[in-house]
Amino acid sequence: MRRLFIYIRRYWLRYAFGIFCTIATATLLTLIPRLSGAATNAVERGDYAHLVRLIQFMIVTALAMGVMRWFSRFVIFNCGRDIEYNLRNDLFAHLSILDQNFYQRIRTGDLMSRMINDLGAVRMMVAMGLLSFTNTPVTFFFALAFMTSLSPRLTLATMIPYGALFFEMRWLTHTLMQRSLGVQEGLAAIGSKVQESLSGIHVVKAYTVEAHEAARFRATNDEYNEQGLALARVRGAMMPIIKATVGTSIMIGLIYGGMLVRANLISIGDIVAFMLFLGQLAWPTVSMGYTLSIYQRGRAAMKRLDEIFDAVPPATVAGDEARLEIAGSVEWDHVSFSYDAHNDDGAAHVGNPNGLDTRNGFKPHGGDGIDQHDGAARTWRWALRDVSIEVPAGTTLAIVGRTGAGKSTLVKLLARLAEPTVGRVLLDGRDIRTLPLAALRKTIGMVPQDPTLFSDTIARNIAFGRVDTPLPEIAAAAHIAGLDGDIAVMPHGLETVVGERGMSLSGGQKQRVTIARLLAYDPAVVVLDDALSSVDTETERAVLGSLAESVKGRTTIVVAHRASTVRKAEQIVVLDDGRIAERGTHEELMAQRGIYAELFRRQLLEDELAGY
Amino acid sequence: MRIEAEEQIERAYDTRLLRWVWRYVRPYRRLFWFSVVLMPLNMAFALAQPYIIKLTIDIFLAARRGAPPAWLKPAIVASHGHGMLVMGALYSVLLAGEFASFYGQYYLTMVVAQRSLADLRQALFEHIEQLPMAFFDRTPVGRLVSRMTTDIDAINEAFSAGSLTMFVDLLMLCGIVAIMFAFDAHLALWSLCAIPPLLVIINFFRVRSRTVYREIRERFAALNAYLSESLSGMSAIQLFTRERESFREFDELNKLSRDSQMMANVYEAGQFSSVEALSGFTVAIILWIGGGQVIRHLVGIGTLVAFIQYAQMFFTPLRDIASKYTTLQSALAAVERLEVLMETPVTIASPPVPRLVANPRGAIVFDRVSFEYRQGEPVLRDLSFSVAPGQKIAIVGPTGSGKSTIIKLLNRFYDVTSGRILVDGVEVRDWDLTELRRTIGLVQQDVFLFAGDILENVRLGRVELSEQTVREALTRAQAMRFVEPLPGGMHEEIHERGANLSAGQRQLLSFARALAYDPRVMVMDEATSSIDSETERLIQIAVDHLLAGRTALVIAHRLSTIEKSDRIMVLSNGVLRESGTHQELLQRPGLYRRLFELQYAPATGEAREAVD
Ligand SMILES: Nc1ncnc2c1ncn2[C@@H]1O[C@H](COP(=O)(O)OP(=O)(O)OP(=O)(O)O)[C@@H](O)[C@H]1O
Ligand SMILES: Nc1ncnc2c1ncn2[C@@H]1O[C@H](COP(=O)(O)OP(=O)(O)OP(=O)(O)O)[C@@H](O)[C@H]1O
Ligand SMILES: [Mg+2]
Ligand SMILES: [Mg+2]
Repeated sequence: MRRLFIYIRRYWLRYAFGIFCTIATATLLTLIPRLSGAATNAVERGDYAHLVRLIQFMIVTALAMGVMRWFSRFVIFNCGRDIEYNLRNDLFAHLSILDQNFYQRIRTGDLMSRMINDLGAVRMMVAMGLLSFTNTPVTFFFALAFMTSLSPRLTLATMIPYGALFFEMRWLTHTLMQRSLGVQEGLAAIGSKVQESLSGIHVVKAYTVEAHEAARFRATNDEYNEQGLALARVRGAMMPIIKATVGTSIMIGLIYGGMLVRANLISIGDIVAFMLFLGQLAWPTVSMGYTLSIYQRGRAAMKRLDEIFDAVPPATVAGDEARLEIAGSVEWDHVSFSYDAHNDDGAAHVGNPNGLDTRNGFKPHGGDGIDQHDGAARTWRWALRDVSIEVPAGTTLAIVGRTGAGKSTLVKLLARLAEPTVGRVLLDGRDIRTLPLAALRKTIGMVPQDPTLFSDTIARNIAFGRVDTPLPEIAAAAHIAGLDGDIAVMPHGLETVVGERGMSLSGGQKQRVTIARLLAYDPAVVVLDDALSSVDTETERAVLGSLAESVKGRTTIVVAHRASTVRKAEQIVVLDDGRIAERGTHEELMAQRGIYAELFRRQLLEDELAGY
Repeated sequence: MRIEAEEQIERAYDTRLLRWVWRYVRPYRRLFWFSVVLMPLNMAFALAQPYIIKLTIDIFLAARRGAPPAWLKPAIVASHGHGMLVMGALYSVLLAGEFASFYGQYYLTMVVAQRSLADLRQALFEHIEQLPMAFFDRTPVGRLVSRMTTDIDAINEAFSAGSLTMFVDLLMLCGIVAIMFAFDAHLALWSLCAIPPLLVIINFFRVRSRTVYREIRERFAALNAYLSESLSGMSAIQLFTRERESFREFDELNKLSRDSQMMANVYEAGQFSSVEALSGFTVAIILWIGGGQVIRHLVGIGTLVAFIQYAQMFFTPLRDIASKYTTLQSALAAVERLEVLMETPVTIASPPVPRLVANPRGAIVFDRVSFEYRQGEPVLRDLSFSVAPGQKIAIVGPTGSGKSTIIKLLNRFYDVTSGRILVDGVEVRDWDLTELRRTIGLVQQDVFLFAGDILENVRLGRVELSEQTVREALTRAQAMRFVEPLPGGMHEEIHERGANLSAGQRQLLSFARALAYDPRVMVMDEATSSIDSETERLIQIAVDHLLAGRTALVIAHRLSTIEKSDRIMVLSNGVLRESGTHQELLQRPGLYRRLFELQYAPATGEAREAVD
């Protein structure tokens, strides 16, 4: 909540003006019943001249009130919009520096709902909530003061139903809010269900599980249906309860007031004023309860937003964010990594990444949320165990290993998509944590294993990292990535829109677009994580050839499963279950007859059989 | 003249859309009509209240008392001087009636709305599931999500706000006007003088807010689409240090959305306050004119008070009609979009009388097949080949040559542009679609995992698959190696899109999915592209046995994956270039030999060494 005040303070002048207008509106509004009452009395007395004066005054009041109300509403509501706008921007900015740990913890759908629903609730609090928070007391103050001056007894009598209304409404609006929240969540659930089923529609169809998906959808749908009805049950009571309350008050005013008129204690004009006041007080009374729920909901929503704001981004140092001028040597220094270290809240027992072996100076660092209690829930599984690799500047490192061996994890650490649990990663001998994050990422270009394309043109997908890349450079990058032929047959060439997640491209085309993206980015260190797995050998050969040409002299790190890709590397590292099992050149490793030779044995053996 | 014509077109087209909605309301029409009948009743209860007030004032309170009407006289006489209490009792009855009829009406309407819209949503979901892949190529999932949530909700909103029964409001207005005229025609005319300006104002805002609300919807949707894409592609954004650029774009969209929201606030506040001001203005007019008449003894003061009440009652529905009309417009716009979606033809479906194949053996024939995704861009050209039952066929070729497309045609994700495809002698278009896809087990290039546990991801709702079967499939696919050590084993939760698995592991699960299926024809589209060759070899051994005697179609770039096939087909640019066994193809100079040489030739020397 403290965070929110900073935003509110930013607009204090507009708020002050809005609040002034609100108070003015409420004041003017309460004038109308008083004037009407006085006019009625004038009529009873037969004083036409006075009546006309009162009427003129009343018309002016009504117009002034209209203007004031107009201002008060949109000024305050627009402050709310501005706060929402700023919050949304700041949230987005913060989200874009949070790392994968955060995105693993909170799902996209959940984030979306926070950015839409919770933000909306906060806006309600600082707009509608604030408006009725000022409006209600002022209206009540003036109305009650005047009513009491006419007749305290009648005021008391007519206010009884309002007292009841206030308490009913507190309960009702609370329930209402709760149930609307339920409905909102239900709707969000429907949204994510549809999103998921339809994103995987090719699987649903291939396995003919449409009926199953429909049944799962029906469950969500039915639940939403029930939530909707539960809401309707409360929402439907709202209006009639208000009407009945006002009605009852008016009735009391009429009967009891009538008796007072007969006793000559008040005039008919006073009754008219009372009736008008009673009508005016209905909403403020309701909105007291309403404001309370808005506030509660807004506070809860802000808490959920604070969770995002409070998520700690990877530490970075300030400094020049330009690409680093470096030779490009890379080193992993006794690196161990466990995904559990970031997923658990420290409730896990820290296993030893080396099994029983702690020779290599491995010491679990404190402060990583590591809880060393014995008998804790479970031990961490290590994706990397004490890995040390040195890559001299300008050379190529190839990483191979079986599925799940930790290859992707290893290269992710280099780009700081994840932080080593133990150990450090060095670039030109400097711990990458001491480099500005942006500079590091401009220096290290990586093609991740899953090609991430955006629903945009091919050109803009290639120029993704450097938006101002000139078209010839984009075309050149596409050329090196071997996309010329593919683009030539597309209807709009480089300007073809690729569809969601690049859906209208073939697997290999997607991969090559991401390679072109890397080339346009022009980094000093190139990392390819299985980036050509869906590309045929001929294209692969061509791409690797021209790629080698254009990244000549740069440090290159490739992860691959194909012998043809890795064989030329100066250094090959074989990962097995997170450990370095073997390392050397292709020839050395083949001679070792270990895992590497085994991995590629068949490819090579069958060569042999084929008669080469 | 022009305006009238347009109105008419609009109305005609509105009724067509309403009729479309009616289809879903129809099953609940009894409830619906019942709720409609309650409305005039509710209206009568409401309208009678000011009349009672008038009577009370005129009979009991005014300086010049009037006589009670004939129907009331006996009750008042019987009350022995407590006539006011009789009026109070009458008034209470009216209040209770109003409460009950309103609540009943609202709740019934919502029951109808919730039930019929749930039906609509379900029908829509099931319809979308049936739509051909081509539809999903051009429709972003996000848009479908908003159809299923926001759009259907807009209709719900129209029910809830009573927009669909706006005619009742009109009736109410007529009722009020009639009563006012019955009391006093002169005063009635005067009190209606605020209506022309009111209509002008309402129309002014209606036109503007309609545009602005449409704008809001579009801009907000664009903002959220951008947000959602950014969140799911965040690691790419970070890797390419595009945070700032993304923020700029987001800010742009955010600003646009805010600006139109603010505009809407200005209009909304304007409409709200001007109606309010006019209502005060009308009270003044009534007091002025009516007061004069009272002074000249033309009407009783009770009538004057009743007039004020009626005038206020008059404004509520009038203001509501404006907002209900807006709600209705947005609901109709939603209905229109939903109708378009619902009427999208299911171009790929089982024929009315499918030809049944009793025991599918898995013979496949492509007969002069041509295909294009987009008109004028052929992807497959005049492709013919046949596969005998039990044969293992491999398809190779450069990326983008149309390999995956062949498969998508085989299981009818798309229909051929010309030519035909036969499975077991029956054209695929004559097959029952489910039967066809059940016959073909497909491992897709585009791996998709659902959020949920591993077991459910392999089983995919095919409840007939026992846990044991799934376990076997996982073992065969070599997935058990990583599933077993997981804390939850087969019940371990997988994150959205399998984010907590390595790429190869995701592929293994997708492979297991097809194996569990035990299909007649097994199709593998780069099923092992991200998997190391050792694991791949193990899979092949495990699967060979299972697939003995079944037809298999394999697409792969790693030639080691395919060279044992009975026949290898080389595809290039959508044309079948070569076909034959591994040995045959190697004898001929051609694409295959070139691919092969590229992958292995330089390794041959070492291979010999390694094998020795
Ligand atoms: N949904 C689609 N809409 C439009 N064009 C498409 C679509 N899917 C594929 N294409 C185009 O059709 C051609 C063939 O694509 P296909 O996916 O069949 O290639 P492929 O041989 O499987 O390639 P890869 O080895 O890269 O997977 C490509 O040029 C591709 O861009
Ligand atoms: N986000 C995550 N959360 C938890 N565990 C993970 C996560 N990502 C990967 N893992 C696990 O860490 C291990 C190493 O994964 P990694 O992606 O590094 O493998 P890989 O060597 O790249 O495999 P592949 O060849 O299949 O790409 C795997 O066992 C995997 O299941
Ligand atoms: Mg990987
Ligand atoms: Mg393909």
